[in-house]
Amino acid sequence: MAEEVLLNDEFLRQLMNVGEVDIVVGLPTYNNAKTIEPVVRAIQAGILKCFPRERVVIIGADGGSQDGTRDLVTGISIDDVWRASKVYALRTLPVVTTEYGHGPEHRLALRTILSAADLLRARACVVISPDSTTIEADWLQHLVQPIYKEDFDLVAPVYRRQKFAGLLMRNLLYPMTRAVYGSGIREPYASEFAISGRLATDFLGNEDWNGDGARSGPEIFVTIMAITGKYKVCQSFLGVKPAQDRSSDLVEAMRRTVGPLFSSLDGKFGYWSSVTSCQQVPAFGPQSEVTLEPLTVDLARIREMFVTGVGELDAVFKSVLTESTLADLRRIAALDLSSFRYPAEMWAKTVFEFAASYHKSVISRDHIVQALVPLYRGRALTFLLENQEASAEEVERSVESLCGEFERLKPYLLEVWGERK
Amino acid sequence: MNMWDKIVSELMQVLHELQAGVAHYLPRVVVLLVIALVGWLIAYLAKVTVRSILHWTRFSKLSEHTGAAQLLNQAALPSSTELLSRFAFWVVWVGFVLLGVSILGIVGLEDYTARFFMFLPRLFAALVILFLGLLAASFFSRAALLAAVNSNFRSSQLASVSVRIAIIIFVLSMAFEVLGVAERTVMIAFGTAFGAVMFALAIAFGLGGQHLAREFLEERLAKKKPHVDENELSPL
Amino acid sequence: MQLKREAGWYKDTIIYQVHVRTFFDSNGDGIGDFQGLAQKLDYLQDLGVDAIWLMPFFPSPLRDDGYDISDYRAVHPRYGTLEDFKSFLSVAHERGLSVIIELVANHTSDQHPWFQESRSSQQNPKRDWYVWSDTDTRYRGTRIIFLDTEMSNWAWDPISKSYYWHRFFSHQPDLNFDNPAVREEMWQVMKFWLDLGVDGFRLDAVPYLIEREGTNCENLPETHEIIRWLRKRVDDEFPGTMLLAEANQWPADLRPYFGNGDEFHMAFHFPLMPRMFMGLRLEDRKPITEILQQTPDIPSTCQWAIFLRNHDELTLEMVTDIERDYMYDIYATDKSMRLNLGIRRRLAPLLDNDRRRIELMTGMLMSLPGTPIIYYGDEIGMGDNIHLGDRNGVRTPMQWSGGSNGGFSTADPEILYSPLISNPLYGYQAVNVQSQKRFDHSLLSWMKQIIRVRRSTPVFGSGSIEFLYPANHRVLAYVRKLGKETVLVVNNLSSAAQAVELDLKQYKGNILIEMFGKNIFPRIGDLPYLLTMGPYQFYWFRLRRI
Repeated sequence: MAEEVLLNDEFLRQLMNVGEVDIVVGLPTYNNAKTIEPVVRAIQAGILKCFPRERVVIIGADGGSQDGTRDLVTGISIDDVWRASKVYALRTLPVVTTEYGHGPEHRLALRTILSAADLLRARACVVISPDSTTIEADWLQHLVQPIYKEDFDLVAPVYRRQKFAGLLMRNLLYPMTRAVYGSGIREPYASEFAISGRLATDFLGNEDWNGDGARSGPEIFVTIMAITGKYKVCQSFLGVKPAQDRSSDLVEAMRRTVGPLFSSLDGKFGYWSSVTSCQQVPAFGPQSEVTLEPLTVDLARIREMFVTGVGELDAVFKSVLTESTLADLRRIAALDLSSFRYPAEMWAKTVFEFAASYHKSVISRDHIVQALVPLYRGRALTFLLENQEASAEEVERSVESLCGEFERLKPYLLEVWGERK
Repeated sequence: MNMWDKIVSELMQVLHELQAGVAHYLPRVVVLLVIALVGWLIAYLAKVTVRSILHWTRFSKLSEHTGAAQLLNQAALPSSTELLSRFAFWVVWVGFVLLGVSILGIVGLEDYTARFFMFLPRLFAALVILFLGLLAASFFSRAALLAAVNSNFRSSQLASVSVRIAIIIFVLSMAFEVLGVAERTVMIAFGTAFGAVMFALAIAFGLGGQHLAREFLEERLAKKKPHVDENELSPL
Repeated sequence: MQLKREAGWYKDTIIYQVHVRTFFDSNGDGIGDFQGLAQKLDYLQDLGVDAIWLMPFFPSPLRDDGYDISDYRAVHPRYGTLEDFKSFLSVAHERGLSVIIELVANHTSDQHPWFQESRSSQQNPKRDWYVWSDTDTRYRGTRIIFLDTEMSNWAWDPISKSYYWHRFFSHQPDLNFDNPAVREEMWQVMKFWLDLGVDGFRLDAVPYLIEREGTNCENLPETHEIIRWLRKRVDDEFPGTMLLAEANQWPADLRPYFGNGDEFHMAFHFPLMPRMFMGLRLEDRKPITEILQQTPDIPSTCQWAIFLRNHDELTLEMVTDIERDYMYDIYATDKSMRLNLGIRRRLAPLLDNDRRRIELMTGMLMSLPGTPIIYYGDEIGMGDNIHLGDRNGVRTPMQWSGGSNGGFSTADPEILYSPLISNPLYGYQAVNVQSQKRFDHSLLSWMKQIIRVRRSTPVFGSGSIEFLYPANHRVLAYVRKLGKETVLVVNNLSSAAQAVELDLKQYKGNILIEMFGKNIFPRIGDLPYLLTMGPYQFYWFRLRRI
């Protein structure tokens, strides 16, 4: 079994010394020396503040860092927190790190953390991104409390964001997850989340871990598994979303999120094809929070990239999209910036056609995801133009309206999907 | 004996030889024709079988992926399934015909027959190489196109086509080499072209694109974080 | 006459704490007495202890269980006479048992003649023997010790129409140690008992002897002067006498009470005790190792007194708020168990009568640095009665047998000084000396065994301690060393089996000999020494190079 290959002897020995715990806090690290110390300190402060009596362990699953990240993680002592804040630590807080491979692979990092949670019989397992520079001590409580008190299985985060940050989430991932799977999780792809020990154990036993979806985007895979496995899912407000350098690479971001999302549709057809309405996901704290500080964006450049994409990738789109959709795209590409609009309905259709093509593998699946990138830019541009002066409520309404379009056009997805399984 | 009798006697001998010849070859020709007929039937069966197999394995789809279907279409050739099944037919039938011809016992012809049969595997290998090459060319050219478009690279089409041509040339060279057709010529030509292109790229990248080269190396080897475009919004 | 002991005898001693009232009633009046206690000295000798610490037995109105003294030079008539005491002392010494008595120096009962005189008028010669004030505003900021009953450290005396200072109950006025006469009198009291032959004093409430404005009236330099003065007198006239300080302070604040070896010989390590209980429930050695790391070195002639339980509540004064809350939630779920920032329960009930945990805690008591003190009844696992008010629930009659009155007294049960514990789990029918004596596997038999093993080497009393910090934080491991003797102690604080790897490289080549069964364990090599331990198990290993 893959699990035996994954956990090396040294790590097992460390786990043996830790013994049974109540909470596992996992950090999937790779060359995070610049940001890891404040993150670990915030976690320790959170443990002291919110879970002083619980048995907690911090597990660092490292992909082979060369900048001393592992040493930094183990070098931070709980007593430093005491010295700094005079909050007393009742228990030893073990910190364990392991190298799961050579080169970062999120799936393996997550698997290592979940394996530790399973072996240590943890009630709750929290995964925190090592880049979470905005993390606060309370985040741990917000993530773990629903599992502890209300017996939830998955706690997804909700962040406070600038109104134009996270457009991929709000224009594709959230509306599509909501329409297809009937779940209103705002952040189906999250770098901070918590799962129950029960769910962690079930994940490890799931065959789909080795599939494409889990390999490229384990986080979204986890969310979808929780939704479709009829586990208790909720979301909890944390705070300001940490800025993440990696995901500013749009192609990479889409590979990690859209690819696995499309991929999941194959295996879960039986589930999502029968979903007809969206289930409200219980939320602790506000469902969304948007800040309105100004942001300068080069709109013309975004339009240019959209137009270039439509023009240059015509041959690719012919394999993926229907004639009518492609024609619409060409028409939009001809619009100038002031009148540029990529309507919600059209965007939904585009996404669904891409999903269907992905399913049929009309061309390489990775190429399908890459081909969607310029079209997403067009949609993002529309969102930016429509909401330039919008208030937080108006932005939320805009997102809701888009979700409505996705839900309304779900039968279209089924139609283009082709053969029903 | 006078001259007239000599002539008649020679004529009679020639006729006799002719008779003997006809008597020797006619049955063989008949056998040849029978073999050819049987061969035709078998070849037809082979064609149908290959066509069915290709339909069943959705070969046309694969062919579309490689771009071979488009190529054939542009050349006003039938579809790849049809082409292959016809090829199978001809290979089988020609094989039978040659087999029949070998029965005629014509020296020298047997040698060519043997050579033909020895040529077949190399032909098949060359076709496989070409097919795979077209597949790779299609895949990589599309990959280059997508990467270029998403990086806002100005000459994305050029990059894509260049990749496709480069791979096709490479593959054709390999195919010709396998077939043993103008081996040396092809190799030299290919080597020269390939070397020239690489040299040009090295100069362009190393001299013209020094900054880019440094950035690239730093990102790959020194594990420096890639440059973040300030204009990019965080998508997640 | 004092028992002849070598210098520093208290460092390698096991002390048995008992109240004469609770132990054995010889005359059928329902109250234990000295004659009865004398009769039971065989039991104590058999147990293996070598010193007895007697709770206050001086005449007293008994409003604070004898800590409110009304005559320093007599024995309360309920417990016998001074002759009875002398006789008991003699018997004890014959059996090699030292006797340590309480000296409540800080305060007296308000019924003491000294106070009666002092309050009678402002001109009385003994007026200045106590701390009087016209207002109750002096020494503001001084903490109140008996929080559950007292509102202030000043009490109004209607007779002398002024306030008097009391750090404990209001009927226990504090003596004024600024007055030389008081000091001299207290020395005379000590001399009285030393002349009779007692081997040591436990001085109650020593931090509070002196008050000064603008301070917290605890641990003041003048207090130490007084102690040094008393110590000098004791050393000059009665060398070998042991002085034990009762000062509920943090280790760093306790250190001054040892002086440079010229103040107390011993002091209670109060902060360690609750942390042992905490570490056990947390299944984490952190509370124990931390407090011992914070414990300063003391002069070589001095010693810590360590204990698990005593006559008072399990004090939670010297812990943080988080720790106190934890202890309350775990050990005193019933709020009536809580008293004065502490928990008024005995050892066995605190540990859910779990034999393994009782053994583990006793094992740590016997192996950590210090002189262990066993509270009477804990050696047989006696229970408590929290409904008896104040701390009386842990001061019930000793259970000798399953017969009438637990073998404590022939009196009618109604006139016993306190009801016996009689529930099915801890009652005298189930838990008593007689039945436990019969069986090798009883708690009493085990106690004797561990005392015997402890006494087989001086390393526990006088040796150094070095903590090992194995990666498994559920295991508390340390090495005790004295000269060539080295003992490794490993304690599994967890309720589950544990595996632990110990870094014993510096002891490479030694074999381990388990001290109870004397069996040989593998030699220490280069690799970490692996031990597997059952729930709450502990090992004592003697290291031997052979």
